[in-house]
Amino acid sequence: MSALTAVRGVRTVRIGRNLSFRYRRRSVLVSALLAAGVLLVGAFTLTAGELGLSWRELFAVSQPEGSASFVLGVLRGPRFLTAVGAGMALGVAGSLFQTVTRNPLGSPEVVGLTSGAAAGAAAVTLWPGYLPVPAAAILGGGLAVGLVWLSTGRGFSRPGKLIVAGIGISAVATALTSLAMTTVGERQAQTLAFYLNGSLASRSWSHVATITAALVLVLPAAALLQRRLNLVSLGDEVAESLGVRVDRTRTVAVLLAVVLAASAVSVCGPVAFVALVAPQIALRLLGVSSPGVVAPALVGALVLTLSDFAVQQIDFGAALPVGIFTAALGSLYLGYLLFIQARKGVL
Amino acid sequence: MPRSTSSINQRILAEAGNPGAAGADAPAAPRRQLLGARRGTVLLAAGVGVLLLAVVTSLAVGAHQLSPAEVAASLWTEITGTGSTYADDVVASRVPRTVLGLVAGAALAVAGVMMQGLTRNPLADPGILGVNAGAAAAMVTGMAFFGLGATSANVWVALPGAVLTVLVVYALASGRRGATPVRLVLAGTVISAVLMSYIQAVALTRPDVFTMYRFWAVGSLSGRTMEQAYEVLPFFLVGLVAALAAGRSLNALALGEEAAASLGLHPQAAKIMGALAAALLCASATAAVGPIGFVGLAVPHIVRSFTGPDHRWLLLISAVVGPALLLLADVAGRLVAQPAELLTGVVTALLGAPLLILAVRRMRAVA
Repeated sequence: MSALTAVRGVRTVRIGRNLSFRYRRRSVLVSALLAAGVLLVGAFTLTAGELGLSWRELFAVSQPEGSASFVLGVLRGPRFLTAVGAGMALGVAGSLFQTVTRNPLGSPEVVGLTSGAAAGAAAVTLWPGYLPVPAAAILGGGLAVGLVWLSTGRGFSRPGKLIVAGIGISAVATALTSLAMTTVGERQAQTLAFYLNGSLASRSWSHVATITAALVLVLPAAALLQRRLNLVSLGDEVAESLGVRVDRTRTVAVLLAVVLAASAVSVCGPVAFVALVAPQIALRLLGVSSPGVVAPALVGALVLTLSDFAVQQIDFGAALPVGIFTAALGSLYLGYLLFIQARKGVL
Repeated sequence: MPRSTSSINQRILAEAGNPGAAGADAPAAPRRQLLGARRGTVLLAAGVGVLLLAVVTSLAVGAHQLSPAEVAASLWTEITGTGSTYADDVVASRVPRTVLGLVAGAALAVAGVMMQGLTRNPLADPGILGVNAGAAAAMVTGMAFFGLGATSANVWVALPGAVLTVLVVYALASGRRGATPVRLVLAGTVISAVLMSYIQAVALTRPDVFTMYRFWAVGSLSGRTMEQAYEVLPFFLVGLVAALAAGRSLNALALGEEAAASLGLHPQAAKIMGALAAALLCASATAAVGPIGFVGLAVPHIVRSFTGPDHRWLLLISAVVGPALLLLADVAGRLVAQPAELLTGVVTALLGAPLLILAVRRMRAVA
């Protein structure tokens, strides 16, 4: 993306003498459209199918009654809001990881977080009763990222080493997960497999509360960090010369991303590829070199809610976990990306 | 084919001391002389020695321990067909997994050398070209829609799946200017991901498939029969011979495609042949024992630290070190979790990952 387009659309708003902020018309427009898209998907999620609300009931949500209150309050409301929250968390986590590793493939999957979380969940299936599954998943994910961090020697500063260490730790975690898969009974194994693909089925308001709390805590910090991250993405030497402490910025960004991704895992299991795809789509929609926080969050929410809408309404012969759908979409998109870049001769 | 190998060897030598160039596959390779025939033979003999030791251990160790003498005696009665003692039965029960370990270990290790050489990527591994996912997807399709069992006749299903996947990956990775290492890795990742979500979708909607798949997906030498070894043997042998013959082309390709072309090699043709041989090897291994990770990644690195960058020795010695490693990992799995067993695929991952990370810590030139 050329610097010209990035500069051209920028407006500055001044409030008094000391407060000012800058925005691009295109970014605002894109974000507004994305938000509208999420709302629209929400409306369809709540109204579609036999059990859905009627549109009239939807617009009278302040006093739902009877079956409408069940659909809204128990069946689909929390599920939709969990999807929005988890999608936002994953989108921002992916954006942070990709900026830090300067690699479009950087994502919670790559630093071992996802497979670590899976191994944590699997461990609880082997030795039940010690921890609730989401807590074990977060613990496992944190442990895996910690190990990757130690394995790379100098923190997360070398993208190449980070990715390879991530592959190594992921492999161990995956091996432990399959060990559990082959040891436990068939029914348990199937439940575990379902969880490991990431599912949004039967979410409650406590899930919504968890992911909301994480977003409220972490998103402002991520937004504040964004300017320094943009400088880091120019290269370590340039950033250092502009007065950015590169290693510290990177570590903080990764910590924020881990918290976001782990919260998402705790409410909907390791949903694949949203964190990978959302920042990439946001980049292309915005036409800039660094997607920031808002757009990836909204794209993440849109991708996850759309996918969940699809698995709720399309008949696959059985209820599929949403993660299978995002994995299929995400990998196809990745293939498209590769195809385009190969044709341009960029890669 | 290159006319003068000595000039190639000199160039490989020059590049081996120059991190960042093609020969820098070996992490932080110190300057070393290229392997001479005498030293190579000694290394090969040592490798064969280790392999024999591994075979005897694999036959002797387990829930019931035997002495090497008992193993030898039982093997003899096995061959002459008169065995009936308890020790004979124990050895007989361990023969299939040992044979499969030999085949799969050699196949994975040699395929690993081929892939690392072809993609010029020190991290290439059978998993990376989508072979495992392709074989698994074909198997799952067979189980779900054509009534196949998890263990019977699967080479005819797994093999086309794997080869087809490699071809698709290669086609996807070849843009206008041919496949680069990065693009191959990316394409392999993409195709694997697509196939994995297909596998998961089928497995989760079909409980019967799920049950078979979850055991197959780990990769293990136990619970297999000699029939499975016989089935894959022809494919394995063809792949092995083709791979061992590719040593010189790999040496030439290590200098870069242009240099290889100027030495009289068709880089594209050599690559496709090499990739097919590697696919054949991986697919036989995967069909026989399921997806076993890290042998293909680790063995080439271990062997390279002894032999240096000459692919002819690298291929040959990897073909004996690979099975030794796999058999020892299998034996370790039998010993660690007694009276149960750790599946071989779990053991190789537990052993391989620290090795990979050690390699990363020593690695300088990875961007």
